[in-house]
Amino acid sequence: MIKIDNLSLSFGEKVLFVSAQAEIPDNKLTVVLGSNGTGKTTLFKIISGNLKAESGKVSHDFKKIFFLPQNIKYPDGLTLFEYVTSFFYATSFKWFLSKEEITETEKILNLLDLTDRKNILIEKLSSGELQKANIAAALLSKADCLLLDEPTSNMDLTNQIKTTEILKKLQNHGITCVMITHDLNSAAAFGGYFIGLNKEHKIISGQKSEFFTEENLKNIFGIDFNINKSNEDIIISVKNTNDIL
Amino acid sequence: MSTTKRTAYILILTVIFCIAVYCSAFAGYHDNGLHLLKKLFNLDGDTESILLEILRLPRVLRGIIAGCCLAVSGMLLQSVSKNPLAEPYITGISSGAGFGIVLSVLFFGGTAYSLFGFTGALISALFVILFCGFGRFSITKLILVGLSVNMFAGAVISFLILKNTDKAYSLMYILTGNITENTGISDLHLILLFLCTVFLCGLFVPKLNFLRLDTGLTHNEKRKENYDITVIILSAFLAALSVLTAGILSFVGIVAPQISKLLFGNDYRWLFFSNILIGSAFILFADFISRIILYPVQIPLGLVIAFIGSPIFIYFLTRKGDFLHD
Repeated sequence: MIKIDNLSLSFGEKVLFVSAQAEIPDNKLTVVLGSNGTGKTTLFKIISGNLKAESGKVSHDFKKIFFLPQNIKYPDGLTLFEYVTSFFYATSFKWFLSKEEITETEKILNLLDLTDRKNILIEKLSSGELQKANIAAALLSKADCLLLDEPTSNMDLTNQIKTTEILKKLQNHGITCVMITHDLNSAAAFGGYFIGLNKEHKIISGQKSEFFTEENLKNIFGIDFNINKSNEDIIISVKNTNDIL
Repeated sequence: MSTTKRTAYILILTVIFCIAVYCSAFAGYHDNGLHLLKKLFNLDGDTESILLEILRLPRVLRGIIAGCCLAVSGMLLQSVSKNPLAEPYITGISSGAGFGIVLSVLFFGGTAYSLFGFTGALISALFVILFCGFGRFSITKLILVGLSVNMFAGAVISFLILKNTDKAYSLMYILTGNITENTGISDLHLILLFLCTVFLCGLFVPKLNFLRLDTGLTHNEKRKENYDITVIILSAFLAALSVLTAGILSFVGIVAPQISKLLFGNDYRWLFFSNILIGSAFILFADFISRIILYPVQIPLGLVIAFIGSPIFIYFLTRKGDFLHD
């Protein structure tokens, strides 16, 4: 569980958080929502320890948190297998991978449906496959909590669904995923827990039914939404597009 | 990239390396060197044996050491800085070395000038690395500080040369680099120093396979075990060692890592050996050409390297334009 307690942060004039509170539960796919510039990525950086908060406390009980940024550069001329095994070289001085490490890698590639792509050069992979490769690398680095910054942002619909399915699948393997997305409807469809950053620099969080209310969404995005609930499904649409303009 | 392909490349490079050693050690302007090769197994103290022992073999040795040091040093720096333009001398090595050499020639009679160059290189590298601060260490800062130090010392060197026009010729000759004479250190010490450094690099080479990942992904791990500085110090020492062996030779340290990367991708375990082979072969070929092209005059090695290096580099650039983006 990640606990965010009384978090405050601002960059000069720009205030991002003012005594914000939230909890991110274990073994659930948590979705982070919010407009641009409200500090979603910054929140991830604080949780993963890349950035220090001005005041307040962020604590967690994971072995390792892995932050996957939105834009990353890939080294050329490597196969997918070589790319994902890079983390094995981090901690020791060995020249070759051990048998266990190779088996472990193959297990994870299998879990992410990448086995048949493992000998393909990474510059020839699609963005969906690259994202899965990054997730594989994260898992091989022994992370049990993944923070994904818009992992599906440049994927087509099929790949988006595939990737989120995989993230959901990881929950069964004891891995907690937190992701940023801008797609409210798909978030509502696959998310297990929700966090919204609003314009008052607070964090709104909750389960699906309590989070998706017209009041909350207005508070987060500043525009009116229609929410249609039928059984478990939630369909969200903008009430009046003229408001935005 | 498959292991078979990489093994094939390594074999080809080894063959090229052997040809380079042969050219540099045995072949000459007058003959193809076959009888010299036979002589190698039957050193009987005649003129040709002495030529081999005193001139050619130490020269080959220094060529290999210099090329290897420069190429590996360039590889280390380019990998840590993730900048394809980083070269071994960027940490202020060339300026410090040049300054040391000029001081030695002007004020200490020029004996052991390469030892002066070596010391100068180490001092300036230390200065640059320390100046960049161990706490908030940043590669960009390192490159910029190194660049400024190089520019500053370059100006001082030019000034000193202009003030002492009588020695200008010998200074310019020494500063362009060569592997013909060794004034600083005995060959045995040089080999030992070289082997130790390469062994240390060998320890850190697999680490580069981790550092090749985007910094956004490695941030957390890196904070715990900061290898950047160790790798930079190693690369600075290698560059200083190349100064001790061959003076200031530009270009090898930037071209060899690039060509290796095009051939082998980003697996540093392969790149390490590829750089050793390409770097040494490059210098040996350049030395061979410098010996025969204007026979009996030897043109400075640094000039030959620039002459043959630039076209090769531009060829590779145009062949595969996309590698500038990595």
